[in-house]
Amino acid sequence: MSVGSDLLAADAAQADGGLPGDGLIETSGADVAAQSPLQLFWRRFRTDRVAIVSLVFIVGLILVAILAPLIVRLAGAPGPNVQNTKLLDSFGDPTGPSFAHHEYFGVDPLGRDLFARVLYGARVSLIVAFIATGLSLVIGVTAGMVAGFFRGWVDSLISRSIDVLLAFPILLLALGLGAACSLGGGCFGGLLKPGLVVVIFVIAFVNWTYIARIIRGQVLSLREKEFVEASRSLGASNSRIIFRELLPNLVAPIIVYATLIIPQNVLFEAALSYLGVGVQPPTASWGAMLADASTNLSAWWYMLFPGVALLLTVLAFNLVGDGLQDALHPRGGRS
Amino acid sequence: MESTNERTRMRRLVRLLPFVVAALAGLVVAGCGSSSSSSSKTSSSSAPKMGGTVTILDVAGSVDSLDPGYWYYQTDYTELGQTTQRWLYGWKDNTTSPTPDIATGLPVVSNGGKTLTIHIHSGIHYSPPIASQTVVSADIKYAMERCMTPRVGNGYWGAYYNNIVGAQAYAAGKAKSVAGLVTPNATTLIINTTVPVGVLADANALGLPCTIPVPQSYAAKFDTGAQSTYGMHQVFTGPYMIKGAGTGTVPTSSYQPGKLLLLVRNPSWQRSTDPIRHAYFDAIDIKGGNDITVASNQIIDGSDLMSGDFAAPPTSILKQLVTQDQSQFHIQSSGGNRYISLNTTIPPLNNIDVRKALSAVIDKNALRLTRGGPTIGVIATHFNAPGIPGFDQAGGVAGPGYNYDTNPNGDLALAESYMKMAGYKTGKYTGPPLLMIGDNSVPAGNTALAIESEFETLGFKFTFREVPHATMYSKFCEVPKAKVAICPNLGWGKDFFDAQSMIDPVFNGGNIVPVGNVNMAQANNPTFNAEMNKAVELTNPTQRAAVWGKLDAQIEGQAYVIPWLWDNEVAFNSKDVNGVTWKFNGGDWDLTNSSLK
Repeated sequence: MSVGSDLLAADAAQADGGLPGDGLIETSGADVAAQSPLQLFWRRFRTDRVAIVSLVFIVGLILVAILAPLIVRLAGAPGPNVQNTKLLDSFGDPTGPSFAHHEYFGVDPLGRDLFARVLYGARVSLIVAFIATGLSLVIGVTAGMVAGFFRGWVDSLISRSIDVLLAFPILLLALGLGAACSLGGGCFGGLLKPGLVVVIFVIAFVNWTYIARIIRGQVLSLREKEFVEASRSLGASNSRIIFRELLPNLVAPIIVYATLIIPQNVLFEAALSYLGVGVQPPTASWGAMLADASTNLSAWWYMLFPGVALLLTVLAFNLVGDGLQDALHPRGGRS
Repeated sequence: MESTNERTRMRRLVRLLPFVVAALAGLVVAGCGSSSSSSSKTSSSSAPKMGGTVTILDVAGSVDSLDPGYWYYQTDYTELGQTTQRWLYGWKDNTTSPTPDIATGLPVVSNGGKTLTIHIHSGIHYSPPIASQTVVSADIKYAMERCMTPRVGNGYWGAYYNNIVGAQAYAAGKAKSVAGLVTPNATTLIINTTVPVGVLADANALGLPCTIPVPQSYAAKFDTGAQSTYGMHQVFTGPYMIKGAGTGTVPTSSYQPGKLLLLVRNPSWQRSTDPIRHAYFDAIDIKGGNDITVASNQIIDGSDLMSGDFAAPPTSILKQLVTQDQSQFHIQSSGGNRYISLNTTIPPLNNIDVRKALSAVIDKNALRLTRGGPTIGVIATHFNAPGIPGFDQAGGVAGPGYNYDTNPNGDLALAESYMKMAGYKTGKYTGPPLLMIGDNSVPAGNTALAIESEFETLGFKFTFREVPHATMYSKFCEVPKAKVAICPNLGWGKDFFDAQSMIDPVFNGGNIVPVGNVNMAQANNPTFNAEMNKAVELTNPTQRAAVWGKLDAQIEGQAYVIPWLWDNEVAFNSKDVNGVTWKFNGGDWDLTNSSLK
């Protein structure tokens, strides 16, 4: 059992105005009931209505992404890559939204249904958001913990590497990698194939550094705590201390930071696709749709729907992230 | 000429070019090298006004080089070729055959077509810093010779000057000069060839920038090393010169690649000696790096502006021009096409029936819509373009009559029947995915996606990549080793009004090279190769048109490529500009005859 695994609850309770040691006791009204850290978190989080609405939106978006084929079929719309030139005028300009013909969001310059493409585009955004963020977290947390725990030359090596990576102009680096790996067989002997994999790699490659820095700072503090000393005195190995004692106490910052970088990653994917080095066509991507739409401004629907979808998604993740931050670190206050 | 940035490159592949169909009849003028009666147009009937400054807005990188020996693209010709230099033979804005410019008349042909004698005008002065020096025949000889050296990077000398006596030896460094270029006096140039060369005898291939005079006494010091720097120090014979270049060096304040090019009047040029150029503007400012939509709107709503190195505006603006602002735009056949190449060395494309199936299934109307619809071109049924001799002989607009060319909307049933003939029992392809490399620019990317989608109806699967335009050519489609099965975004344009420049580079097996290969289908039919090699020697225009037309039809019968559009050039200007287009240059501007109102 983890010696320090209750720290989150203790910290939370302390931050809530209680005294150290009474974090597990809730004394509202006549009933006195013990609450788990999760219950405490949820009690605070649910009071944030904006965050709740945003969370509902994200859950809905995930369901929409998963069920996109079904929804498109039920709506009577064609698939996302079905081209229909009958929906273009004699200049090749696309037609706008029409409920009569099930083109709820209109079509693009290839006559493809935008309703279907926006829904399928959510898949790309969410896949990138979660996988790239997950990879960033795994690399960043591991590197941060190792650097903070071992200090010395290990810390120097990792920290200087982070400094070097952070010194790169991130977008240009991503553009360069994206462009190089989008050709032919990809990069590193075909390990990185053009398309979504490159985008995820680029984002993970760039983002882990921020997480690593934050985690390193937390670990530098935690490694001096008594529960770590206690664990060490009981003969725990370094890996056990890192992954069984320290890691559980980093859950709060990890969760908060993850929810904040997810929208960044969604935007980053959109930016790379907008600039032509992201997801390969004909895969639907909001960023790529916005790029195409920018050359056909008269088709307002072409920019509006993927744009709104991107805006709402990023906003929702940001608001949920803020809500989580407030719930997990109530002293912080929202800026 | 190959399509590079979506604008036309003279000869090797048209970089791009979109264009229209409005007047089919006008497009089909075949003419046999004679001047066409269909004229270039001006945007209004207002009389040209002398003076003023016009600004050209570029979006795709502007000129490729300052060196006349390098110029091969439409934009090079428009912005520098016609404006700053005089050629041995030039091109009036509305003609389809060359006009003596520095020459006094057409070549005098003798020795069975193997000797051409050309006389040139005396008294044509260069710009400062050698303003006192006049053009002599040796300057033309030196200009042609330097085109054959790698340091200049010329793209067409091999196609047209290779049969000049001693050219190959000179290019290989085995001779100090080209023996077949002789200058007995200051005003005479004699060209001796090993075989008759039709496009030299009719002066078509002498109406290219390699004949822009370069004085050896001045230029030799810049023609050293791996790459010539003459372009940055050149002297001019045309009505304009790069601002400040009179010092002997082009200043950075006047030329920044892709961003800025400022032209002012050349004090040495004399209107009275120039049969081609009026030079109404006092100055021409060329500004690059613009967004195409923003630039298009600026041109339409602004003043003193003309479209630059883009073949057509975005669709929404094209529609506005066609429906509302007709006086501001010009549309005419580019003399080029758009096509899909099918690599005949890669199974199953080595099977003619598979290639015919792919030709049959293509919905050419749908592809045309990706570029702007009927306004931007005529549905193609064979390779050679309207207005070029041999076009009618290959069947004209209707084409040679192959059944896979007859339905512009595609014919799936016919395509499946060809697939069955190729051994696919269900009529659908069942093999491994094929590599297809498309162009990621707008609107080419959409065209590629439409092509992919149409091929997929026959069961084909693709490893499909969209890459930048230049990469598509330099890393994939022009490199046989890359083993690209299908290149969907290709274009080819004439070098001049002769079908040889359309057919031979793209389909002669002798042109297949490891890098920069424009025979992307790797067509290599020994019979066709021999016929093309013979046709090069024909000097009779009627015979040339007949033979090249027949070859065009025969090649279409092999379905090496799928030509789907003969496209138009769309040029447009502000309301206060009288834009005049240049037929020779694919309908782009003739800035020396355009003017302000």
